[in-house]
Amino acid sequence: MRTNYRENSGVQFRMLSEDQLEELFNGVLHVLEYVGLEVKHERAREVLKEAGAWVDGDRVRLPSYMVKDALAKAPRAFTVYARDGNPKHDIHIGPGRAHFGPGPTCVNFIDVETMERRPYQLSDVPYVAKVVDSLPNIDFCESLGSVDNVPYDLSALYEFAEMFRYTTKPIVAWSFDYYDSNAIHRIAVEEAGGQEAFEKRPTYIHYCEPLSPLISTTDSLNKLVFAAEKRIPLIFTPCPLAGGTAPVTPAGIIIQAAAESWMGLTIAQNIQPGLPFIMGGVLSVMDMSSMILAYGAPELSLMMAGITELAHYAGLPLWQTGGCTDSKTFDEQAITEGSLSVFFSALTGGDLCHDVGYTESAMTGSVFQLTAMDEAIGYARRITRGIEVNDDTLAVDVINRVGPNGHYLKDEHTRRYYKSEFWLPNLCDRTSFEDWKMMGEKSFKDRTVARVQKILAEYEQVPLKPETETLIEKVLEEAEEWVKQQED
Amino acid sequence: MSEILSTISTLVIEGNFADMVDKTNAALDEGLGAEEILNNGLMPGMDHVGVEFKAGNMFVPEVLRSAKAMQESMNIIRPLLAEAEAETSGKVLLGTVKGDLHDIGKNLVGMMCEGAGFEVVDLGKDVEPETFVEAVKEHKPNILGMSALLTTTMRAMERTVKALEEAGVRDTVKIMIGGAPVTQDFADQIGVDGYAANAASASEMAKQFAG
Repeated sequence: MRTNYRENSGVQFRMLSEDQLEELFNGVLHVLEYVGLEVKHERAREVLKEAGAWVDGDRVRLPSYMVKDALAKAPRAFTVYARDGNPKHDIHIGPGRAHFGPGPTCVNFIDVETMERRPYQLSDVPYVAKVVDSLPNIDFCESLGSVDNVPYDLSALYEFAEMFRYTTKPIVAWSFDYYDSNAIHRIAVEEAGGQEAFEKRPTYIHYCEPLSPLISTTDSLNKLVFAAEKRIPLIFTPCPLAGGTAPVTPAGIIIQAAAESWMGLTIAQNIQPGLPFIMGGVLSVMDMSSMILAYGAPELSLMMAGITELAHYAGLPLWQTGGCTDSKTFDEQAITEGSLSVFFSALTGGDLCHDVGYTESAMTGSVFQLTAMDEAIGYARRITRGIEVNDDTLAVDVINRVGPNGHYLKDEHTRRYYKSEFWLPNLCDRTSFEDWKMMGEKSFKDRTVARVQKILAEYEQVPLKPETETLIEKVLEEAEEWVKQQED
Repeated sequence: MSEILSTISTLVIEGNFADMVDKTNAALDEGLGAEEILNNGLMPGMDHVGVEFKAGNMFVPEVLRSAKAMQESMNIIRPLLAEAEAETSGKVLLGTVKGDLHDIGKNLVGMMCEGAGFEVVDLGKDVEPETFVEAVKEHKPNILGMSALLTTTMRAMERTVKALEEAGVRDTVKIMIGGAPVTQDFADQIGVDGYAANAASASEMAKQFAG
């Protein structure tokens, strides 16, 4: 029994002080109250007006009590479930829990056989889903691409159906608009056993993006309203570029991004109080030479840490970003940028860290980068788990038992703890030079490729219910018809 | 070379747009022709900026100031160039396609093209195919540039090309496209003349098309 004894569970990381966070928080409220946003959605404007917002044409300003009210309604902790009931694949969102997964909608993909960069195909989705399903440190699924070889409006729908088949881990689903959002939801509801069952155990998160600076676009709000009505956990994440579509300073971009996300929060909580809401967005610099959003910049990690702390201060989970790179190939830059950003993301406890496996500044998805980052996340997680201090781990009695000139290898204390205290690498090599030479002088890259191949060869599918498969066929057929009608 | 032309080059390089109107008028007062100001004052300055940008010694915010300085001068000399029927770079028509509200990339292209001496007509964002068609008929540009940031909106580029074909004006312009999801393959697929990966290469491409 101890008195006034304080324990740190895991590594403590904190960048901003309480005072600084309060400044940021009030900055966001100020932007929402005095600047406002363009809300390009009639129903959303009506909902907001009804709840007390000032509406002037498209421009909507929110009195701060409305935002605080929405923040109070949104849960800080909730669970997104594995579709097959496997508790190991559930995601418990809450303080101190960082999760990782890939990102959506890259145009290109690194072919898993040839390792060449080419447009993303429907047949790539199962590869990504299987790798996600198998990697121990990847917690949720996105597909790392937008499918090139199906009717354009249906690429998100086809992608979802394929992901749903090949992983039981929770999915983060993007979509174009109302039609495909609804079709995706029908599939998930069928597998869950009805809308009510889905609401109790949601298996996917709905993803939408407002536009920077300060615009809630029609399509993003069509999707937000849909998710709110169906009570689907929601990510509302802008993608501002510091110096381009947002202030150049980290504090400034954080405030703007938060205002953009909280407009969505306020709409959603007024439609569906208590809707699980994950705050965005992706914050980085606009590279002032290439004009791209830099996915490997140190400022990305820094800004993401800042907005994560603001989200947690306000009582929301955050859509983190990491494991991504600006490199065009699977090289030292890719691993350095990816590893540092996942480590930093893990330190912040940012709730869902996405874009793991992005290369070429989000233009090209790679399961090789994803698999390499699984190793980096494992490494990072061992560090953030920290050091446990108790009578048993202090091991004073063990030290006494072994004494000077003994060894600990045979001690039961060592046997009991080494598997949980030591991180076991999958890809990092610690063999002797001779063994390494004998094994064929494999590089980290070689071992990563081999691991991907092994995963794909050994993967075992947990099938969907037969009725879900039937529904998928039906939904896709109807969707193909719908596309034809749209074209006519 | 006259001192005032060298001053104008320096103003472009420094991005000093505040002094540009005075110095351009001073050059005209000295009896220099508009064409001379363009070719021996503004363009050498902008060429220097282009080289320094490519070398990584200048960055987009500085290049934009330079482009603005150039534009200040062009506003004065453009009517004179037209009067003298002097050869200019040509006209670029720009727009972000229907359904897309992202315009920072397109704006950069516009400023870079102005910096390269083009007259730029910017139709803004969320531009209907029909609006592009009307604007091509009205402004008779050498080059049409279309931009889209979203995979969801890039198809509007194809629809715009079709609308131009149907209106019989497709072959009056060179079409270039750009935006994050746009690729050379996509450009080939929809039958446009060029794809530019960023604003700097877009203005280079415009120069090639106009030249």
